[in-house]
Amino acid sequence: MDEVLNVFSVEAREQLEAMESGLMQLEQGDRDPETINAVFRAAHTIKGGAGVVEIHSVEKFTHVLENVLDRLRNGEIEVSGEMISALLLGCDHIGVLLDLVAGGQMEADADTARAGADISEQLKPFLGQRKAEAGKLTEAESDVQREDSAAAVNDCWHISLRFGRNVLKNGMDPLAFLRYLLNLGEIANMATLTDALPDADEMDPELCYLGFEISFRSHASKAAIERVFDFCRDDCELHILPPNSKVEEFLGLIEALPEETMRLGEILVKSGALTREELDTGLKRQSTAKVGADGTAPLPPLGNILIQQNSVQPEIVEAAAAKQKTVSEKKAAEASLIRIHADKLDQLIDLVGELVIAGASANLLAKKSGEATLVEATSVLSRLVESIRDSALQLRMVQIGETFNRFHRVARDVSKELNKEIELVINGAETELDKSVVEKIGDPLMHLVRNAMDHGIESAAVRAAAGKPVRGRVELNAFHDSGSIVIEVVDDGGGLNKDRIQAKAIEKGVIQAGETLSDQEVVNLIFEPGFSTVEKVTNLSGRGVGMDVVRKNITALRGSVDVRTEPSAGSRFTIRLPLTLAIIDGFLTGVGKASYVIPLDMVIECIELADTSANRDYINLRGEVLPFVRLRELFEVSGERPTRENVVVVQYAGQKAGIVVDQLLGEFQTVIKPLGTLFRNMRGIGGSTILGSGEVALILDVQALVSRSAMAEEQKARATQGGRLLEAHGA
Amino acid sequence: MNITSQTTAEGATRLLVEGEFGIYHATDIRQRLIEDVRAHPVLELDLSHVSEMDTAGFQLLAMAKRESQRLGSDLRIVGHSTAVREVIEFFNMVAFFGDPLVIPAGEPG
Amino acid sequence: MGQVIQQAPAVRGKPPTVVTGSAVDIQQYLTFLLSGEMYAVGILNVKEIIEYGQLTEIPMMPAFIRGVINLRGSVVPVIDLSARFGGRTTETSRRTCIVIIELVHEDEHHDIGIVVDAVSEVLEVSSADIEPAPSFGAKIRADFIAGMGKIAGKFVIILDIQKVLSVDEIATLATVSDRGAQTTAGV
Repeated sequence: MDEVLNVFSVEAREQLEAMESGLMQLEQGDRDPETINAVFRAAHTIKGGAGVVEIHSVEKFTHVLENVLDRLRNGEIEVSGEMISALLLGCDHIGVLLDLVAGGQMEADADTARAGADISEQLKPFLGQRKAEAGKLTEAESDVQREDSAAAVNDCWHISLRFGRNVLKNGMDPLAFLRYLLNLGEIANMATLTDALPDADEMDPELCYLGFEISFRSHASKAAIERVFDFCRDDCELHILPPNSKVEEFLGLIEALPEETMRLGEILVKSGALTREELDTGLKRQSTAKVGADGTAPLPPLGNILIQQNSVQPEIVEAAAAKQKTVSEKKAAEASLIRIHADKLDQLIDLVGELVIAGASANLLAKKSGEATLVEATSVLSRLVESIRDSALQLRMVQIGETFNRFHRVARDVSKELNKEIELVINGAETELDKSVVEKIGDPLMHLVRNAMDHGIESAAVRAAAGKPVRGRVELNAFHDSGSIVIEVVDDGGGLNKDRIQAKAIEKGVIQAGETLSDQEVVNLIFEPGFSTVEKVTNLSGRGVGMDVVRKNITALRGSVDVRTEPSAGSRFTIRLPLTLAIIDGFLTGVGKASYVIPLDMVIECIELADTSANRDYINLRGEVLPFVRLRELFEVSGERPTRENVVVVQYAGQKAGIVVDQLLGEFQTVIKPLGTLFRNMRGIGGSTILGSGEVALILDVQALVSRSAMAEEQKARATQGGRLLEAHGA
Repeated sequence: MNITSQTTAEGATRLLVEGEFGIYHATDIRQRLIEDVRAHPVLELDLSHVSEMDTAGFQLLAMAKRESQRLGSDLRIVGHSTAVREVIEFFNMVAFFGDPLVIPAGEPG
Repeated sequence: MGQVIQQAPAVRGKPPTVVTGSAVDIQQYLTFLLSGEMYAVGILNVKEIIEYGQLTEIPMMPAFIRGVINLRGSVVPVIDLSARFGGRTTETSRRTCIVIIELVHEDEHHDIGIVVDAVSEVLEVSSADIEPAPSFGAKIRADFIAGMGKIAGKFVIILDIQKVLSVDEIATLATVSDRGAQTTAGV
């Protein structure tokens, strides 16, 4: 498979997953517009991508889903069970189509096409005129539910354990076995049964009376789970049910176990293995089928049940194992390079982060102890940790070029489709950045590039009339700039039309009619939610999934996006991102009792604030006016200003500013810990880190501080000017 | 293992358990727990100095709790060491005992 | 069934246990004291309880955002519940605790700490013993109350912790406060 197709295929699968989970949430009663939006966006992205790589089967089919979701999103139709089922079938079908593509088959065969047509037919009722069918739908919905309840829906293994009385005497600790399970998977629920525990007087403290009912989420085979209990196998009663076992099998299990039926039933319901309804109807069915209706079913011979249980295991386990084998064989054949699962790399980086923090803590303790040899040893260690950190981060660094290159194909296809001649120029393809950043920048970049081609570059006729070369030009640039990577999307098109943006913003209610905005503020409106300038829905962009999402994605990466535009000369979108989201070199400063980290790449120099008496917010830095912010004032730190203060001179995007702090504490390897959604709107603080003492220190958002101080400076300048004028009048 | 008894400011009896809480001392622990649960309407167990706890130890705690429930008396665990906390949480028995598990500040992670 | 799952926010990573489906549900609650009042929160949301200690304040935040703590390597925000309810910020004492609450917001898991005067116990309360929230008379916002639990003859306010710790609302309040700081800084 060629590279472009590969990229599409991987992304489409991701989107498909997102779609499915969103749909499932809707099925479970979630009505959050954001969930619906997310599902819609996923479908939209799949369709768009399929269009670009020319897989028309996927594009055409997904379009139907997208239309349904669009109506759902606009509130024209409501979520129903039938609709979700049909949409989920649709997702499966897209998966099938993608499988075909992976196998080199670009168009669906007759059978697959028929299946697709069937699903499209099922979705038809949701594409319009739906009123008459309302009654029918509810009926269908309950049908679906009834069918579902026939099998217990559960992705967990169920393990029932009754340890033999003598395990403890034999020197074994059940706790150890159970904890070992964690190596195979995750315990979703654990119920500890103390029912067999006798009264205090009769209890022998060296006998084991405990039983356990465990829901266990794992990809391990039944044999592997059994092996955990090998050593105490003779000493305990063990039953294992695979995920999605039938209700009857659970009932069989209940009967096989010593505890009372209802008590165990409750536990299974609580643990999520069975639903209440399944338990009740199951028990009822059984008791009526067998003896009386006294609620408890009679005990069938134990052997029968065990055989019954065992009979279901082998084929399920074998099938799963066989499937795993084919997948892994295929993967091995794919490449000669060593492929490392990204998760492993992420895990390594996380561990290195912890190592850095632990190292800082050891350093601190060594210094406190005052033992020279210990200090020496820890400093050797820190140097090594630093090298490990750099190497580990380097492993995850990739060139932006791979991401850029897929846009060649986009440019070619868009040129054809829109009948525009567009040339794509790439600069700085070798610029490296963290894989975790690259992965998340692909989508926003795709939007920007498509936008530039679709809306930025004018039609050939318009260009000719304006005296520009007929061939439009879109540039993708990447370069490093003081600890950030800058990515630019530049077009030589018509530029953004400010009047139209303003009109549109008023129409959409983004701004009020009377508001006066600077040109730049008007242009920035395109990043506001709910703003989209194009009326016509084209195949490439539109539908309002756009600039707001671009900005949201970029700020989530601690980056910024900015646009400059010139009428008839074109637009330049500048994305600025941190090189890595994991570990950076920081510069530690102190204000009052708190510590703050400034990214070292942005620090130019540190100087002492010579004159603290003057009440001004700038200093003369070798003839240059340097505005500064006092963190103490800005952050309202209590306590007296110290006699000596320091200025850290920082630079962001070419702008310089000073940050006034109490103390300079030196360089510090900073493991970035995100502050989380709660603080997403916060400006001035970019994240946090953990110091050697275990304390949390905040990382300053230099960009925000610099622009804040620049703004304050501007306002002050205006104010002083006003003041002078007044004085002049007075005189 | 060592168990000492003290009286709290509120007048309740508090047992401070130090060291291993498990199979090697199971007989002693059982004896002591049964006696004290039966002797005091309110008994507090301070397990914050328990270094290790195994299934046998857990079982003894469960036994003591059941005994106190049977008698209608009050058994509270007022301090949990990491070892104790981990076992009770692992067995999903926090609610069975009913005592909040408070982690001391500054405990290494 | 589905309805019950919806009411009790399922906590992933922890048992998705909330699958009790009968008319009378028994749920577990952690009760705690705050400004002399007893409150309860569903145990499924409670991840752990730690003693109050080493906290880093975050500048330019409303008073109810107490700061952040280091919870075994993760940085977790801490909310002052008393201030969130419109009262004074909590004075810390020997019994002050931080209850770590696990929430799901937009598919992501969030740990948020809340400062309480003292934790008291873990209780089972049957849904039959829970009365609807009074429309007025309680000292806190009605939508913060999931119900009034009858425990040993006394009423305990069961918090709708998803609302109390609404990530969206808190994030918005945090912005407003920051904007204020920005204007004062500009002048």
